[in-house]
Amino acid sequence: MTAAAPQSLVASTVPWKRWVRRHGWTVGIWLILILLIGYYATLIPRFGGFQVASIVNNGTPLVFLAVAQGVIVIAGGIDLGVGGMLVLSSVSAARLMEGQSFEATIIIAIAILIAAAIINAGVGWIITVSNVPDIVITLGSLYVFQGLALSVLPNPGGGTSDGFRWIFTGSSTGIGTNPWPAALMIVIVVGAVSWWMARTRSGLSLYAAGSDRTAAYLSGIRAARVKIVSYAVGGALAALAGLANTAIAGRGNATTVGGNHTLNSVAAIVLGGVALTGGVGSLIAVVPAGLILFFLNPILTAMGVDPSGAQVFQGVLIVIVMAVTGILEWRRRRRS
Amino acid sequence: MHCTWDPEASNKSGNGGGNNEEEEVVGLLAVFLAFAMIMAACGDDDDADGGDGGGEETFTLGVSNTLVGNAWREQMICAIKAEALARGNVDRVVLQNRNTDVAGQIADIQTLISQGVDAIIINPADRSALDDVIEEAASQGIPVISVDAPVTAPSAYFVSNDQVQYGEVGARWLFEALGGEGNVAYMRGLDGHPADTDRDTGFQAALADYPGIEIVYENWTGWDPSVGAQQGLEILTTMEVDGIWTSGIDYTLVEQFSVAGVDFVPVVGADNNAFIEQLITIDGLVGAAVSNPPSVGGVGAAVALDILEGKTVDQQTLLIPAVVSEKADLEAMFVPDLTAGWSSYMEIAPYVSYTTQMVIDCKGPGE
Repeated sequence: MTAAAPQSLVASTVPWKRWVRRHGWTVGIWLILILLIGYYATLIPRFGGFQVASIVNNGTPLVFLAVAQGVIVIAGGIDLGVGGMLVLSSVSAARLMEGQSFEATIIIAIAILIAAAIINAGVGWIITVSNVPDIVITLGSLYVFQGLALSVLPNPGGGTSDGFRWIFTGSSTGIGTNPWPAALMIVIVVGAVSWWMARTRSGLSLYAAGSDRTAAYLSGIRAARVKIVSYAVGGALAALAGLANTAIAGRGNATTVGGNHTLNSVAAIVLGGVALTGGVGSLIAVVPAGLILFFLNPILTAMGVDPSGAQVFQGVLIVIVMAVTGILEWRRRRRS
Repeated sequence: MHCTWDPEASNKSGNGGGNNEEEEVVGLLAVFLAFAMIMAACGDDDDADGGDGGGEETFTLGVSNTLVGNAWREQMICAIKAEALARGNVDRVVLQNRNTDVAGQIADIQTLISQGVDAIIINPADRSALDDVIEEAASQGIPVISVDAPVTAPSAYFVSNDQVQYGEVGARWLFEALGGEGNVAYMRGLDGHPADTDRDTGFQAALADYPGIEIVYENWTGWDPSVGAQQGLEILTTMEVDGIWTSGIDYTLVEQFSVAGVDFVPVVGADNNAFIEQLITIDGLVGAAVSNPPSVGGVGAAVALDILEGKTVDQQTLLIPAVVSEKADLEAMFVPDLTAGWSSYMEIAPYVSYTTQMVIDCKGPGE
């Protein structure tokens, strides 16, 4: 279904061109990341394990949150609540994990991921039964999660185990020269979710429903179920971002503004080539996009740009990406 | 479009013919180019790498601040820049200045370490969560100076206004002004911020000595003047209060008395120039300005440079707050034409070497 079908439809296409069309954006965005890192290395006095670990470890929460948003947007929704889920998960972890053994923190982490999936599935369910647009319901869930986070942990505090910090940061202090655990975590999680979405029936139905709801319905896909599944998976991934946040900080803080995280996740998927209209995009491209967005701040700092310039740059970049993809889509439609 | 596993999308583009692949490549190139052009445009203004004039050793200072758009923090940063410029041996001040959380500040401090700064001045978003990154900086030979609020990292230097005292002296002045009896509204700062917690410690200590005082309202303004105004209006229109203690969100609160059409009650605020102007010019308004100068950032920069120059420096520098309520003293503090929300107390003897005008200009070395 995935590889064979397009081949017969675009039989005239030269193989490498088809490959470029299918994977061009993904490869390109990875290339941009690599070029930016190479450029950064020339700007700063020393570039080694510490710098790489700093980017990978601290970029991890945004990567997971962007992937969470990506799953939901590909399935035709949009979840403004992911940032709130990040905060709620982060403070719940910090509160429950304080003083616990490594084994206990892992069990707590799994419980939080499951709870997040169930809660966000509920959000998806509310959207399907109420028929209120995603953006309205999830704006509500953003505030609800943020408020719940404050009641879970009214004052900044809590803690976690050294081993748990190591899983996300390669160091028991959250800082070091070891980017591998975080990198491996990204590879495993994103790899698994990508595989599920590309190779399984339930995963592919997300693309189908996001691309054309009616056609999906006619071909036997239940749109309501797809929406709930996508919100559940997205909720768990957003909670994973929250766990990474707790591992980095070593404690929780409910005054973290979830809305900012949400906006970054949307920016990341746009840069990663996920169409906000649904049905199109690759999570493999969302990973470097998330890292690039995190990375803009250090690189612009190294260039001596005023910090507020970083935000302007991010905004301009998103507008350009949207414009470019919009023009491509428009030309395509006009011709067909 | 783009990369897709979706048969639907492939179908759509399949109808278009052979040109789509080129378009995809062109689109990506456009984004590439956009990146390159903006990068080039951003980079242009910073070619000159200053500081290789004389033979004297020069330093780079890093600054991490997590609350943007706040007058106090802006003035703190301007004081750091002014001190760096006044000392003459700083080639650059690297700013990490954005609204972010603890995890973000940890990343920002790591970024500053990566940039090769010689010392880092932070306004901490958390008392203990930054300890590990501060110790990491110290182990790489970079001293960290925490201004405004303490951190628990053993290697950190600490430069601050005494926040416990700040909370206590202002509260005592207010409770005395009320004759030890009455309803008080307690408008705090940023929930969870170490300085807010310390001020509360001082406030509660004062409160314990005045059993006749009742706290009828307690909330956090987030040190946001517009939030303070909102809460002030809510207090003045819905409850009977005899006095208001604010954590420095004062002048927008005072404006609400006339909006609500109620008589003034004593107000405790900070040394914000706009508040001092109100205390001098508004008839019937009684209040006290408790000094909490943002120029403590300049003291932080001075301490950082003293350390780098090899001088012996106390690990803790505490500025004792003053309560100013007499008209003559207020007039002596007032600086005409200053940005609203800025403090009028800038030249903090004996620490800083800049002039008030240099802070107002807000220019660092090479700017």
